[in-house]
Amino acid sequence: MKLHEYQGKDILRQFGVNVQDGKVARTPDEVRQVAREYGQPVVVKAQVHVGGRGKAGGVKFSPTEDKAFENGEKILGMDIKGLTVNKVLVTRAVDIDAGTEYYVGMIVDRNVQSYTLMASAEGGMEIEEVAAATPEKIIKHRVDPVTGLRPYEARDVAIKAGFKGNLNKIADMMVKMSEAAFARDAVLVEINPLFVGPDGVPVALDTKFEVDDNAMYRHRDLADWRELEAEHPLEIEASKYGFAYVKLDGNVGVLGNGAGIVMTSLDVVNRAGAKPANFLDIGGGAKAEIVYNAVKLVSKDTDVKAIFINIFGGITRADEVAKGVIQALNDGILTKPVRMRIAGTAEDEAKALLAEVNSPLIQMYPTMFEAADEAAREANAASQGSK
Amino acid sequence: MGILVDKNSKVIVQGMTGREGASHSRAMKEFGTQVVAGVTPGKGGQDFEGWPVFNSVAEAKSATGANVSIIFVPPAGAADAVLEAAHAGIPLIILITEGVPTVDMMRAVQEVKALDEHSRAHGGEGVRLIGGNCPGLVTNAEAKVGIMPNKIYATPGRIGLISRSGTLTYEAAKLLNDAGMGTSTTVGIGGDPVIGTTFADVLPLFEADPDTDAVVVIGEIGGADEEAAAEYIKTSMKKPVVAFISGRSAPKGKRMGHAGAIIMGDVGTPESKLAAFQAANVPVADTMPEIIDLVKQALNK
Repeated sequence: MKLHEYQGKDILRQFGVNVQDGKVARTPDEVRQVAREYGQPVVVKAQVHVGGRGKAGGVKFSPTEDKAFENGEKILGMDIKGLTVNKVLVTRAVDIDAGTEYYVGMIVDRNVQSYTLMASAEGGMEIEEVAAATPEKIIKHRVDPVTGLRPYEARDVAIKAGFKGNLNKIADMMVKMSEAAFARDAVLVEINPLFVGPDGVPVALDTKFEVDDNAMYRHRDLADWRELEAEHPLEIEASKYGFAYVKLDGNVGVLGNGAGIVMTSLDVVNRAGAKPANFLDIGGGAKAEIVYNAVKLVSKDTDVKAIFINIFGGITRADEVAKGVIQALNDGILTKPVRMRIAGTAEDEAKALLAEVNSPLIQMYPTMFEAADEAAREANAASQGSK
Repeated sequence: MGILVDKNSKVIVQGMTGREGASHSRAMKEFGTQVVAGVTPGKGGQDFEGWPVFNSVAEAKSATGANVSIIFVPPAGAADAVLEAAHAGIPLIILITEGVPTVDMMRAVQEVKALDEHSRAHGGEGVRLIGGNCPGLVTNAEAKVGIMPNKIYATPGRIGLISRSGTLTYEAAKLLNDAGMGTSTTVGIGGDPVIGTTFADVLPLFEADPDTDAVVVIGEIGGADEEAAAEYIKTSMKKPVVAFISGRSAPKGKRMGHAGAIIMGDVGTPESKLAAFQAANVPVADTMPEIIDLVKQALNK
């Protein structure tokens, strides 16, 4: 689960990280209120779960109270990459030119089977851009999952990355960030920029924090922070059913049993000359009702012009899949062509059920390629027709 | 024959009395696996469908001489179950459970590796963890310690198979079967970001196995396991290897189900994996059926 900047900052503050003051505002008047309380200048920052807020005009320096109000009006309600800004964070402004901006972050790294701590003197930028252009400017260090990050290791990383300032305090900030990551099951935690002013003391100006969904059961307090309005409505519905679902920008709905087969299904749809509209993994052992819900979910997406179902039944029974699809047809939910490849357990029973229904909307094919080709053809024809 | 498990393997099931544990214990028995006992804390002394149930792995091991454990314990207790088995001296542990918190896995994997080194340094046989979030492993017609469908592993074959994805493992095994080749051992290593055994850990076992002629590696985008595998193949492997990479068309930055399947910067891109396999002379199939052609070509060389 992704947290907002202000929420990530709250967590880091609880672990003793020196975080830039800030308050959340939901109306331009509230923005003015905070600006008055802090004294000027302030910065008004959109709170949305996407990167590149600054470039999109979602972060604005505000030298006066009136300007803060005006910027609040501009940013609140703004659309950034499809998400509406409902909240802003108002912080005291820092004279960036008087100090230095650095980057520190921790990420789950399968290559070292633990967290990797990353530090770079190229702060303030997207770390992906730094990694792409100048990978040598990012210092990486495996964090021991049993002992955690120790101060001498953090100092060593800071020195290698070329950090200047109070090294003990900078290392201490990294250690506390690491403690927060372990304690709160972070998948990713970043402080960027980590700003070091003329006094040499570090302060976290911006943060990113993402919590491991598998560990949410032990962070029930954070679950309350989840904002459904900040997520795609179909993704919310998918999470209710327990599906792994990602909205994509094509016209073929794709569903299958297992992340691997669904990823390969996306590849096959692309090869067939269409684009997937989504990734939907119904998981293992799905019964008819689950398949029914999956078909319902994908059918609701107006971008979807045809549905490609790719199942290799092990625990999952092909006849259950067929039953779910047929039920959706009978209930009038299924109005788009479904092209499927179902192999494995109870394949013959599934074929028999579909033969009985004999609807042109549901067709089964012997291979995933034929099913994907047909789904792609149907979807592209429908997309042409609707233009 | 094959690697890691055979008809002599004695298997205990941690979490046997749960829904998944029970149904897969039955399926493993049907396959012919020697399932010798179950472990469910609090149910020790009971009988479960003819199997004795023990309160702890240590008790189960000393009573039965088990040398493999398969775990169906829910996520919150899964890492603990792994450590219990490892400390009880079970040399091969298979964690099926999906959704185990990553921090728990980091700690468990590190501890298992430390125990493994310690055991080997003192003349023991070591400790190996496979998974979590994996389908397990199966040596055709001998033993299945996992959740794969029994049917496609009924006849012996000579192709080793390693995969990060469960369903694609079945897909590949069936293709190899239908082509009349079949698999020796299939190892599902799991799709999570932190797992006990990687491609590069399994490849040496196949290289040393007299009953395996070639190996198929089913990888996916994200991580650098495929790159590490390619490096091992390049420097140390004589048997032919054929690869497939799933998710090559996936959009960058989106996480596709598995936490592992995400592209970070330039690491783990399909291009980097293709380049690594190319450098190791490993042909990469564009589609799954093409795997068969490539394996045939490799065997005829």
